[in-house]
Amino acid sequence: MKYLGQIATVALKDVRAELRTKEALNASLAFALMILLLFSYTFDPSKEMMREVSGGLLWIVFAFAGTLTLNRSFARELPNDCLDALIAAPIPGSALFLGKCFASFVLVLAVELVSLPVFGIFYNVRWTLQLPWLLMVLLLGTWALTVIGTIFSALTVNIKLREVMLPMLTYPILMPALMAAMRLTTVLVNGQPIGEDDVAWLKMLIGFDVVFTAVSLALVETVLVG
Amino acid sequence: MTSGLMLASLFDASVWAALAAAVAAAAASILFLRTRNFFYDSLALAATEIGLVLLAAGILAGAIAGRLSAGLWWTWDARLTAALVCWLLYAPYLMLRNAIEEPSRRAASAAVVSIFAIFDVPAIAVAVYWWLARRAPTPPIAVGWMILPMTLLGTALAWIRLRQEQRRRAQDAERRTAQEI
Repeated sequence: MKYLGQIATVALKDVRAELRTKEALNASLAFALMILLLFSYTFDPSKEMMREVSGGLLWIVFAFAGTLTLNRSFARELPNDCLDALIAAPIPGSALFLGKCFASFVLVLAVELVSLPVFGIFYNVRWTLQLPWLLMVLLLGTWALTVIGTIFSALTVNIKLREVMLPMLTYPILMPALMAAMRLTTVLVNGQPIGEDDVAWLKMLIGFDVVFTAVSLALVETVLVG
Repeated sequence: MTSGLMLASLFDASVWAALAAAVAAAAASILFLRTRNFFYDSLALAATEIGLVLLAAGILAGAIAGRLSAGLWWTWDARLTAALVCWLLYAPYLMLRNAIEEPSRRAASAAVVSIFAIFDVPAIAVAVYWWLARRAPTPPIAVGWMILPMTLLGTALAWIRLRQEQRRRAQDAERRTAQEI
């Protein structure tokens, strides 16, 4: 119970700071809309084309926009040595990590939930046909994005090339989760249920979340303290 | 044996040798985090570097094999593509090492990346296979006898790299002591 309180304190602090400054949220949202627009020049947004590419398009937008938010997750604590204070705080490293994770999760999810209707309007896609399943894939994929993004944000926070290193490290690791999310999203946005062939992708996505959350929690003290 | 088949089996052999290098690097990384002995850090670095070289050679052989058999440099063959993703997975390991000055911090951060990467390799292999095998069936794995010279070559190169790295570390330590005096 105390542990959950510690996680909530860190998460609420981060969300509050972000809602007051909006430094990552605005950038991330503007970036997401920009990529959505840019994609309309790369192909003819006809019905058949959208049937093929919608999932891939959406998750590229989410992954790129999400990185902007995740970059700030630990970098926000650098001024005034806030990071040292957080590490020295009498809470376990895993509580700090999970708190940061949940905060980024909420922020990235907010950007995604704004991007989805915009995507539907721009590309004339009725994406709400399988809404509950689509939301579940969104939650699972976003958790994969934030758990990997947060641990590597902590790992790269003290490096000069931070902004470059984070996407270099996270995108290859995220590849299986992104592929699963892309495949499932393409199916669901087209209004089809998750068929027998695609259940394997759902399992892949859940397995990815479970395994990498566990690995992150096991290594978080090493990442924070060195 | 045609040259195309030879190259395909060369690809398989170097990929398996690279996989062994990745497992060795992850094991060395875990041992480093446990013992904080820098020998294991050097070992992880040597294994990863040689693994990347083997993988690059394998991808090149696979691309040439594709060119010979199908007339295309890149056929989106599942195994070749998974090998490329794994190469992209491990290349940032070396970039991260270059970006961190302080030795113990560098070793710990690199070890974390290596452990994450080894958990990701099977997921990448399965995901890429599911994605691409639907389009075109992949030929059966033909490792053959070439796995032996490939692994020996990799081990020899890794051993040389390990010696180099340890000597460099000893030099660094001496330089630092000299500066203190």
